[in-house]
Amino acid sequence: MSFVSYTVWALLGAAALGLWAGSHSSRATLARPAAVLERLATGPLLRVALVLVWMWAGWHLFAR
Amino acid sequence: MLPASGAALALATAATRPFTWPADLLTAVPIALLAVLVVARWPLRPHPRPAASPAPGRHPYRAWVVLLGAAVAWELTEYLARGSRGEHPTLSSISDALDRHYLVKALVFFGWLCLGLCIVLWGSHGRGRRLPSSERAEPV
Repeated sequence: MSFVSYTVWALLGAAALGLWAGSHSSRATLARPAAVLERLATGPLLRVALVLVWMWAGWHLFAR
Repeated sequence: MLPASGAALALATAATRPFTWPADLLTAVPIALLAVLVVARWPLRPHPRPAASPAPGRHPYRAWVVLLGAAVAWELTEYLARGSRGEHPTLSSISDALDRHYLVKALVFFGWLCLGLCIVLWGSHGRGRRLPSSERAEPV
């Protein structure tokens, strides 16, 4: 099962890299990662969620 | 000054172990700082940024939303699956394995700090921005 699990995680990572590369092409119709985060940071409710996710991620990864 | 402080904090935090008070303290400092910056710098009423020239019928964020949804679904699947964490790794367990390396942990922490700073700066866009004349209230 772990082979399947790691394969799925690898595919998700590859998809993220693919989207990142695709968003930087000259004919891209896809928002760049910075534009996605900027859109989140300027939404009335999404910006609160973004900050909370950032805080929780740091606490979870480095403290607890 | 700011990058050097961030790098020093990252190197110090990377030397700590989770579930200890130094780790709690060094992680709490940027979290508290970000909370203060957000309250001080973000406009009360934000102006959501429109996507840059979206093509007709295309949603520039759709693929990212789908990818995030897939990652969250797989994370939950792995988290709730029966068996050891080694058989069903989550993002947390994968990051735990990476965090055992001092330099990798310092780099991840520094990246987390940079992301927090970017969130503050992006959210500050539109601060003090004048409304278009059509949205401005007429003086009485």
